[in-house]
Amino acid sequence: MLYLPIGVVFINAGIEDGAPTLGAFADVLSDPFYFGVFAQWFADPFAISDHLRSVVGWLAAVSVSLSVVSVPGTTIPIPWLDISTPGVRTGLFGFTAYQAALSTVASVALGLPAAYILANYEFRGRQTIRSLTILPFVLPGIMVAVGFYAMFAQGGTLNSVLGIAGLGPFSFIEYSPLAIVIVAHAFYNAPLVARITVAAWETVDVRAVETARSLGASDRRAFLDIVLPQLLPAVLTGALLTFIFTFMTFPIVLALGGLQLATVEVWIYDRIQRLAYTEAATLAVLETVLSLGLIYAYLRYEATQSRLAQGTARPPKQPLFPDFRTAISTKRLAIVGYGVVALLVFVGPMLSLVIGSVTDSSGLTLQHYEFLLNRQLEGESFQTLPAVAIRNSLLFGLGTLAIAVPMGVGISVLTARAGRVGTVVETLAMVPLAVSGVVFGIGLLQGLAFGISLPGGWQLQITGGVAIVVAHAVAAYPFVTRSVSPLLSGLNPAMVESARALGASRYRALRDIEVPLVATGIVAGAAFAFAISIGEFSSTVILASGTDSYTMPVAVERYLGRRSGPAIAMGTVLLVITSVSFVVIDRVGGRVER
Amino acid sequence: MTTVELDGVSKRYGSETLALRDVSLTVSDGEFFTLVGPSGCGKTTTLRTIAGFETPTTGTVSFDGREMTAVDPEDRNVGVVFQSYALFPHMSVAENIGYGLNFAEPPDGLDAADRIAELLELIDLSGMGDRSPDQLSGGQQQRVALARALAPAPDLLLLDEPMSALDAQLRESLRRQLVEIQSELGITTVYVTHDQAEALAVSDRVAVMNNGQIEQVATPQQLYRKPATRFVATFIGDNNVFEGTIQQSRPPRTATGSQPDKTSPEMWPRDCVSVAVGSETFRLPAVDQAAEEVTFCVRPGALSQHEPRNQLTVAVETTEFLGETVRINGRWNGRSVVLQLDTVPEADELTVGFDPTAVHVIDTDESS
Repeated sequence: MLYLPIGVVFINAGIEDGAPTLGAFADVLSDPFYFGVFAQWFADPFAISDHLRSVVGWLAAVSVSLSVVSVPGTTIPIPWLDISTPGVRTGLFGFTAYQAALSTVASVALGLPAAYILANYEFRGRQTIRSLTILPFVLPGIMVAVGFYAMFAQGGTLNSVLGIAGLGPFSFIEYSPLAIVIVAHAFYNAPLVARITVAAWETVDVRAVETARSLGASDRRAFLDIVLPQLLPAVLTGALLTFIFTFMTFPIVLALGGLQLATVEVWIYDRIQRLAYTEAATLAVLETVLSLGLIYAYLRYEATQSRLAQGTARPPKQPLFPDFRTAISTKRLAIVGYGVVALLVFVGPMLSLVIGSVTDSSGLTLQHYEFLLNRQLEGESFQTLPAVAIRNSLLFGLGTLAIAVPMGVGISVLTARAGRVGTVVETLAMVPLAVSGVVFGIGLLQGLAFGISLPGGWQLQITGGVAIVVAHAVAAYPFVTRSVSPLLSGLNPAMVESARALGASRYRALRDIEVPLVATGIVAGAAFAFAISIGEFSSTVILASGTDSYTMPVAVERYLGRRSGPAIAMGTVLLVITSVSFVVIDRVGGRVER
Repeated sequence: MTTVELDGVSKRYGSETLALRDVSLTVSDGEFFTLVGPSGCGKTTTLRTIAGFETPTTGTVSFDGREMTAVDPEDRNVGVVFQSYALFPHMSVAENIGYGLNFAEPPDGLDAADRIAELLELIDLSGMGDRSPDQLSGGQQQRVALARALAPAPDLLLLDEPMSALDAQLRESLRRQLVEIQSELGITTVYVTHDQAEALAVSDRVAVMNNGQIEQVATPQQLYRKPATRFVATFIGDNNVFEGTIQQSRPPRTATGSQPDKTSPEMWPRDCVSVAVGSETFRLPAVDQAAEEVTFCVRPGALSQHEPRNQLTVAVETTEFLGETVRINGRWNGRSVVLQLDTVPEADELTVGFDPTAVHVIDTDESS
């Protein structure tokens, strides 16, 4: 189910007129549009001295300068590191990597302070914020994009707020769509970085730090020698995952940047819309190879870092604001400052989404919802109807549950077994994380939706809703596996053996001991799977194009093209439904998240 | 009740690792039988083979003469207690204890609730049945695990290092409770531990294991006094093991030769044989004179400063004050020697001797 569509993509890219060829790859690789200056490397890979000369020449022309510039439109000065490079045409892949790198830097910069605060301070709501860091995984990308749109657009909430102070309005999105896309990526990935880092920070054994202190290391030195080396792997893991995710970014760039900021994914989508399937498939293969390489690097890295964190004594957490004197110290003020920025980045867009849905330039209004209602009541069947989108989303969500939960649990059971089989299955189960929804969507579209001829005159064909459910299930099952596996492998085998010795059969022991103990993980995984299905955009938009099996995120994108108000209202509906899923995750799966 | 018999049991993991090599033993009805040895010696594998969690590669397991080798663990009617307790965290204490009663009738015509109450009382946890296991201390959890194993009145109780996660004092008191309960019920028990002192303290008989093999099966006293192998001699208690060469029957000399021999012939048992260890010669009884080599051991307590026979001068290296006694680690003739004295010695060198009859000969090389 997973490998077939990917295989179809590879075959489409590599076979022309029934004969295998690498022509399509050569075309793409040597096209400066895709690979910029590197295209000539691919075109003539053996002219090494020429290439080296051009690299050296380019490096010699790089200059770095630090200057103070003012925020556009105001006189607020900010330091600005200016790296001036001679113009290089990096091409589509180069740009994709460039924005991913910038997004990674932004995510780490925004995530590390959060990790520091969560790991070292105790305050009300700490645990809630810690569990909220899982949220980005279930937030639909298109909804986040619309939220940023509602905040930063010409008539958005940020301009309304600035307007009170007599500033603006500014055209943030038009001025620098790349900056907004990067902030949106940070919204997604900074919590991930924070989450992984906090987990590592909390397993640092305080006794190791105390040992270092007793051996003569200063507080600072102990941090550098003991804590930092244990955090770095986590930070690098977070950064690498962020790079992978933002390299494959799609809905955010599509909605906020459009084709002028096209990343590989957006361009593939555009090629499909223009029916240029071979080119799309070729690009998809190249992208998949790159992201698989990254995932492989990640897995290798993770494997070298895995160690037993057993019996560690956790450092005590300080209260954040114990008294007024401490509260106005530089350190605490810096934390407050960070809090304001975090509030702006994380809460701003979601709040803007809700506010934007009930306001327009003249004040409070319900006209956006009214538009949705009217469209539902009076719209033509070829138009995008809100109720159909909601119904489809819920149906596909249930369908996804039916496939992803048994599949995810089954894989967990296989991987819980020690040995080589477990490792192989675990690695294969990670593959969906490396294959983007767009690539998978093409595979399903070209393979199953157009039909595959089987020997004996049979035709394997699945269409519309079924194909979408398959795509969603593939995207969702790793999350089921990830919530069930830790519980399953954490089970003491002696428990099952005790039950057996007391007279329970193997099946009975499974029912009485294993299933109840991993039940929370299964339910949490199911809620994840449902939320992912509700929010999935990339493959759905491809599979649903031209059909009536569109979902809520697809409806949001379709509305966004014409009127922003209804899109924001639809996004709010999506937010409500996603929030309900999250509450279920938190209530039921709260014990899983530690 | 039940006897357990292992006959030629071997267990091989993969193609190379041999966890058990030809293990044969019999545990009698009602006996407290202990498997002791260093980690990795195969004692836990032996216990798991009896429980049915491991299937032997070769050999048979039988209970009361009935072959059980291929019987599933749930059909063996054994109670197992693990080091990690393995209490079911999602069940209360009472539900844990009562779990086995889902599959077996409670004994003595009791109903399940009465049986659970009876066991809670047995382990001094009456009234705690509704608690969750994680609300109990380590010692209490271990007692619940024991009660859970005993609830269906098993034929056989198997304990896998049940005390090793507890601190020393608690371990001793629990150990006494365990022995009391065991003898009261008269249940055949196989106990696994790496602690030789614990093994000596609780067992009717002990099997010492090493490298997947049984070195010796004996009562604690026999094991201590008459170790069958060099490994047992050094594993069970402190010991000094010497290898010597058998000399022709000549009168003993002292090491330096300059001092006159303070012993008179009537102080020696008859049939003593001279044995050279390094530069020293000792006289030992009950040694096969035809052999060339002999391995023998002398407990630290048998080495006395007041003993004129079989003397050796030991260079003191470390002194450990243990309260009643003082343990001295020293060197003699290039080998380490352990002594046990009543007081902390002043000198750097101590001359001690041993009674020839206090020697235990482990084996004599009969190759000649």
